[in-house]
Amino acid sequence: MLPYVNLIDALETAPADRPFITVWVDEDDHETITFGQFRRAAHAQAAAFAQRGILEKDRVVLIMPQGIAAMTAFAGAMMLGAVPAFLAYPNFKVEPAKYRSGLAGVTANLSAKAVVIDEGFPGELLECVSLTTETKLLRAASQIPSAGDLPNATPEMRPESLAFIQHSAGTTGLQKGVALTHAAVLRQLGYLGAALEIDSGSDRVYSWLPLYHDMGLIAAFMLPMVCQVPVVMQSPLDWVMQPEAMLQVVSEYKCTLAWMPNFAFQFVPRRTPQSRWGDYDLSSLRALINCSEPVRASSMREFQKAFGIREGVMQSSYAMAENVFAVTQSEMQRGPVTIWADPQQFRAAHRIATVAQSTNGAVSFTSSGRLLPNQRVRILSDSGGPLADAFVGEIAIQSDCLFEGYYNRRDLTQRAIVEGWYRTGDLGFMLNGELYVVGRKKDLLIIGGENIYPQDIEEIVSAHPAIHDGRVVAMGVYNPNLGTEEAVVVAEVEQEELLSDAVRLEQEIRTRVVAGLGIAVRTVFLKPPKWIVKSTAGKPARSSTREKLLREHPELHADAGEITSA
Amino acid sequence: MTPEAEQMAAHIRDLIRKPGISIDENTPLVSSGLIDSMSLVDLLLKLEDLTHKRIPAGKVQPKDMDSVAKMFATADRVGRPRK
Repeated sequence: MLPYVNLIDALETAPADRPFITVWVDEDDHETITFGQFRRAAHAQAAAFAQRGILEKDRVVLIMPQGIAAMTAFAGAMMLGAVPAFLAYPNFKVEPAKYRSGLAGVTANLSAKAVVIDEGFPGELLECVSLTTETKLLRAASQIPSAGDLPNATPEMRPESLAFIQHSAGTTGLQKGVALTHAAVLRQLGYLGAALEIDSGSDRVYSWLPLYHDMGLIAAFMLPMVCQVPVVMQSPLDWVMQPEAMLQVVSEYKCTLAWMPNFAFQFVPRRTPQSRWGDYDLSSLRALINCSEPVRASSMREFQKAFGIREGVMQSSYAMAENVFAVTQSEMQRGPVTIWADPQQFRAAHRIATVAQSTNGAVSFTSSGRLLPNQRVRILSDSGGPLADAFVGEIAIQSDCLFEGYYNRRDLTQRAIVEGWYRTGDLGFMLNGELYVVGRKKDLLIIGGENIYPQDIEEIVSAHPAIHDGRVVAMGVYNPNLGTEEAVVVAEVEQEELLSDAVRLEQEIRTRVVAGLGIAVRTVFLKPPKWIVKSTAGKPARSSTREKLLREHPELHADAGEITSA
Repeated sequence: MTPEAEQMAAHIRDLIRKPGISIDENTPLVSSGLIDSMSLVDLLLKLEDLTHKRIPAGKVQPKDMDSVAKMFATADRVGRPRK
């Protein structure tokens, strides 16, 4: 176990001259801050917050570009005993009105005392930061000194005090603020640090992950801070424009650990000219962890072969914000287990009967590793009863890192935690002590590692005047070329004649979804009235509509499997 | 459109493969959902080819790539001669 009472204790005891965060933009533009410098900047930030009336337990929403200033503000708020939450920085695609409603909802739900923005926050979006009389707008401005003293009377932070709140994406996800205590986060980091055999003297994390996502916040900020390990970061936007830079950074800084969603294992090699694959030396890596999308062995093999990664480095993990982060981790030096299963048994009986790889039609599954200490998993049948090993059902978890509830949302919490077990909505099975995640029971889409709620897309599409209100289904369809899901929308038009104008309507719908959520829809299918399959309650039935769409459009079907055939 | 801009527009049409969509110099690409952010790296590499410049990706934001005209303006602004 880690010897700290709270997360800030760990930061306060880190060696002052050890590098902590390097923010890498390109070869001519990077900045490193040591633990000592970070600590001083966080103290100054805490003092500035205290001057502006921020107190213990106040919720503080941070909307700042990814970087050192955002991270010192987060730590500074925690030093006061306040409860910070990162929200995504507005991107230029999202319409001000949509941004406003998302932000207003989250600040109201958290009853936030302050919303902190940076100096460069887009002027046209400022009016969207709608604040109640209790919420202050603060600029994390350059006038905050880079060093300063903590206020004299900082509260005692007990293990059971709230440390911070993390959210999943989208309007629907913003209603679910996962509130975590110092103790829960420290336990998680203790287990994870031990499983990964972290050595603060030799390890270094590489990350391009967003800090408003659990994988970025926990693996690339809290873990380095508490285990006192340096981290080299790119912003997600910088990375997506130059994925090859990951190879440059890992080679140059000799990074040893990195986490990425499945699609990145294909995206990096495919967007790096093959002639340059050999230019990079990734031999420093000892764990490259596939996390937050279903794990696909083919994606990992592609990365491994392209860059000559040695055996045992490719790893996997099953993680979620509600459990702080990881539930499982594959074994170091060994990696995840890949098995092949009988296709009929899997599809008809939801049972895993292992077969030889060469068996005709065998389906392949790659594990997410073994349970970390004090994590328990149950696989549940449709009726909620526990299933034996090798049977596929909903994954439910119990652990001493589990959240206590969604902040201010007792209703959502009661639906999620049933008799002490958190129902993840993911489908999977246990076999020989390893957890395999097969897909999802909930209708969530996972695009590039981010959770997208179909309801958010459907609401936007429904609002289009040519679309029959409520007759829209959004779904994720796996694209093997990208290694991730893409959003597909099927919608009924008001009158059949409107279909003659389909190209224009589809484009308008695509534009509206981008403006609302910032995601590009792969395909919009416009259909005549009464096309979508309805449930007995008269609502669109997602799974039957999906099956009908895949039957009519076999070109989608080729890509749509949740699992890969051997 | 310049011949280079024409070539970029043709490249984008190939990339999006959506029949019936016309791409001119000012067609919004990212903000209209035609191009997702994961495709921007392809466009950046193409832009480097067409302009014979090295374009530091860290200085380019998705909004700088939202139309063919903006891409070439970005190349003029941040592009450096090839070494």
